[in-house]
Amino acid sequence: MSAAVKDTARRLRQSMAWIHTWLGLLAGWILFAMFLTGTASYFRPEITRWMQPEVRFPPVSASQAAGAAVAHLQPAYLGDEQWYIYLPDDRTGATRVFTRPRPDPDPKAPPAARRPELTLDPAKGTPVSARETRGGEHFYRFHFQLQLPHPWGRWLAGLCAMFMLSAIISGVITHKRIFADFFTLRWSKGQRSWLDAHNVSAVLALPFHAMITYTGLITLVLMYMPWPIMANFKVPETFAAQAYGRGPEDQPVGRSAALAPIEPIVDAAMREWQGARPATVIIRHPGDGAATVTIARGADQLNARAAQITYSGTTGSKLAASPPQGAAVTTAGVMLGLHMARFAGPALRWCAFLLGLTGAAMIGTGLMLWTAKRRRTGQPQFFGGQLVERLNIGAVACLPAGMAAFFLANRLIPSGLPGRADIEVSAMFWVWFGLAGFSLLRPVQKAWVETLAVSAMTFATVPVANALLTNRGFLASLRSGDWLFVSFDLAMLVIAAALAFAAKHAHAKRGELPRRRSGALSTLVSGEAADAI
Amino acid sequence: MVQIITGRGGRGGWRITARCLTALFGGYGAAAALASLVARLLPVVPVEATVWGMTFSFAFYAALGLWAFHEPRLHRVAITLWGGAALLAGIVYLLGPRA
Repeated sequence: MSAAVKDTARRLRQSMAWIHTWLGLLAGWILFAMFLTGTASYFRPEITRWMQPEVRFPPVSASQAAGAAVAHLQPAYLGDEQWYIYLPDDRTGATRVFTRPRPDPDPKAPPAARRPELTLDPAKGTPVSARETRGGEHFYRFHFQLQLPHPWGRWLAGLCAMFMLSAIISGVITHKRIFADFFTLRWSKGQRSWLDAHNVSAVLALPFHAMITYTGLITLVLMYMPWPIMANFKVPETFAAQAYGRGPEDQPVGRSAALAPIEPIVDAAMREWQGARPATVIIRHPGDGAATVTIARGADQLNARAAQITYSGTTGSKLAASPPQGAAVTTAGVMLGLHMARFAGPALRWCAFLLGLTGAAMIGTGLMLWTAKRRRTGQPQFFGGQLVERLNIGAVACLPAGMAAFFLANRLIPSGLPGRADIEVSAMFWVWFGLAGFSLLRPVQKAWVETLAVSAMTFATVPVANALLTNRGFLASLRSGDWLFVSFDLAMLVIAAALAFAAKHAHAKRGELPRRRSGALSTLVSGEAADAI
Repeated sequence: MVQIITGRGGRGGWRITARCLTALFGGYGAAAALASLVARLLPVVPVEATVWGMTFSFAFYAALGLWAFHEPRLHRVAITLWGGAALLAGIVYLLGPRA
């Protein structure tokens, strides 16, 4: 390699190390929360089922569930604009329905209030009375909306995802010895250990981190990057129609007509898909002569952009099907599928869950590295350093307590209390930010130990509360072979143990003076790049 | 290099502010315009070309944003990103939509 090329490479690593540090720092805390809640969202239906312990149904076929739901909806909601029926599968317990009334033709009339979601017994179609909860939906929504008003949460999440993507690219360029560094993990060496841990968690799951970040951006690409649509289409709706087969909204004819039986329609769709299970049934203008029934396929394939078939709602004959997808639309659909991992079976889903945790670990250790690096220089802690240290505690050690408090609140709040779903959500933020506020009153090292210990205890309390306040405790679930509840309790205990281990480790480090081992540094990491970190 | 970026050496903080804003907004503009031009010019059906443009847009943005912090000369960064965004968007506008 010539000297000029070497110099260019050196300069590139230097600038990339600098930008990697600041991208990671500025977005780190939000990214940590996005990774942790997003990782929990791999188990979105399971969390919802755990949070409604009253709901317990034997599995039924798709057509049976659709038939039962429509039988319940017919008398009360005929004449609506749309019924959106989420059929149960082997992960969700109940049928969920959203109904929308036909809008008032008078333009001055106030828009009708959104009707609450209906939860139905999949076999009988009768409404289920279960505790009101946001369930797994809460973590899922938070991980890209950040509990901020629309659309600001999504924009902030997108910005942080762009920072993450850029930090991954610059991080890889910075660490030219990244794979060699992977085999050097030095425990209990202060800054070196944080750097090694950061490298190990990053390299171990680098393809996953890059994939999940890029595909995350793709999930909201229509919002973040709509410009290519404008470049090609005079009317943006044409794009949606051609890409996903969404036609212009059909209008009712005003002549009433009976809805064709739904079961044969669902069975017909399943035959077209060689037995694949439909996930949703969308009935437009039920009771009208122009009624349509659209069946959408479940996300059992890698491509999450599911195929759908539309049938006439009065005769049951096939009207239209989603167009065959081209290479680009398929690629985007597969990216969507990879991000949501709904195609994954239990083993693959647990792998994705663990890889998601390595993402949170990578971000967390990166944040630690920032303070460890600056603490080492032996100078008194400057304001920025203190701020970062405190925010690290607030994000890394306190968020887990908030997430556990969300579960705990679900068991502690009386199941019939009005507005309890919102109280559960508030419980998460009160505990998270409350604990972070409390930690400000404590010296840094003690604050780490105490907040981690509180998080560990909150998680450990969840199985206890579950055993005392429901009849689906660990032993009862074990006896009845209820593996969802057994795994949930075990997961809580494992997380509690991990947090307790972290607290113990932080306790052992307490009072230990930062060490300076300057000589070793330049030989161990990628030269001058390490100094810029 | 890093000293030039951070403005150490008495050059003041406005340079790093200008660089950050250029990377963030100029970079987005240039990436959006580039993705749109790719979508407009790719010789495949408009739907496919559009989705390819959108799919690669974030890679363009990341690359341009990182380059904005690698190139030492701020004026070059500013001219490339803001000027590139305006130029490419202008071309897309003049070409007009395909469908």
